[in-house]
Amino acid sequence: MSNKHQMTRAAELESLPVFRDLIDAACKHHPGIDEQIRYDLKLAVEEACTNIIAHGYADMNPGSIILTLELEPQQVVMTITDFGHPFEPSEPPAPDVAAGLDDRPTGGFGLFFIYQTMDEVGYDTTEDGNRLTLIKRLPSAEEE
Amino acid sequence: MTLRQINALPDNAKKRIYRALLPPGLLTQFSIDPITWKGPNGDPHALLKAEPETGGVNIWVRKAADSPDEFFCLQLADNAFNGIDLNFLLLNDPDSPRFRTDYDEEGNPTLFGTARRNLVEEERAMRAGLAPAQVRTSLGASRLVLQHLEAFLASLGHRAYFLEPLTYVSAWVFERRGLAYVRGHKLMDTIHTEFQPGGRLHQALDGSTPFRQPDPWRTVRGRAWAIHDGILEVIDAKWDKLRMVKQIGRHAGVETFPDAIY
Repeated sequence: MSNKHQMTRAAELESLPVFRDLIDAACKHHPGIDEQIRYDLKLAVEEACTNIIAHGYADMNPGSIILTLELEPQQVVMTITDFGHPFEPSEPPAPDVAAGLDDRPTGGFGLFFIYQTMDEVGYDTTEDGNRLTLIKRLPSAEEE
Repeated sequence: MTLRQINALPDNAKKRIYRALLPPGLLTQFSIDPITWKGPNGDPHALLKAEPETGGVNIWVRKAADSPDEFFCLQLADNAFNGIDLNFLLLNDPDSPRFRTDYDEEGNPTLFGTARRNLVEEERAMRAGLAPAQVRTSLGASRLVLQHLEAFLASLGHRAYFLEPLTYVSAWVFERRGLAYVRGHKLMDTIHTEFQPGGRLHQALDGSTPFRQPDPWRTVRGRAWAIHDGILEVIDAKWDKLRMVKQIGRHAGVETFPDAIY
């Protein structure tokens, strides 16, 4: 049985807590979603939305971000749709945390976090927007 | 499939395809045959313009062949991204009083108040309950017409259509019909915030013009008239470059004016 939630907000930093609250509220009573998974979901959405805000809607009056969550027994599917410039979050190399502060490139952790916390990351751009799909598999009942 | 491809078809084929854009019930309500687009006397009431080698279609419908203006007008166009733009949608109650807000006192077209204004007629229209850019009361058929538009575009294989809302009222209506913003969502949020007591737009409702009275911040129309009157200058913004998108079959659920009163 799928449990679907959707929220649309302006692409601005003030919308991030609202998206986090939606994830918390939607996942709270779902068996198999513990606090760590909830944290991962929120982190991935926050990083993805920050990219959309900073790059997708750069130099324009920001449009919308549509977040949908589908809670299934084995996985959580999150879809983030925007209508700005396409920005494909391809998997980055792991940041060199051993490098000195001056030698590290600015940014780069956001995409790394998304790929580290999610099991599948998909992206497509079509006539009806840019769609980032994030899938987090849930531990099965036997594993718990 | 693009509109340009449809427009290359013979006239009869074109009309058969574009007929789907006109809700039959809307036509029969005015005794117009939904197939022939003719009235009881056999006069044509609807006009289709879809020229070959163009990517646009316009449809106008009048209550009577000799009516002074149309009650329905729809303009669609292919856009540069293989999508469809809804460039114009007019739905007027042809039996309601007409306000001459579309022409100034010298008889020049106002382009819906965007190029010039007829302040006397606008004030009359506002007091009669109309929104900016309206010349008559709305027909109240936008939901039906947009449902037909969506079905039409889905049949052509399109996944979305786009539009630029002419007024704050238009944007609010299109939000309710399920559209999201390509540009301007943040502006709409800012407008709502600044119209609250203590906000800069609220403070600018100082009674300096008939369109900036203290109370109308509470309503969609009241805000729209103040915005039409240029009140956004106090927040260094303009009503332009807003663009909305409708994903076919999806409702975005945007609500930038929660619990709004029309």
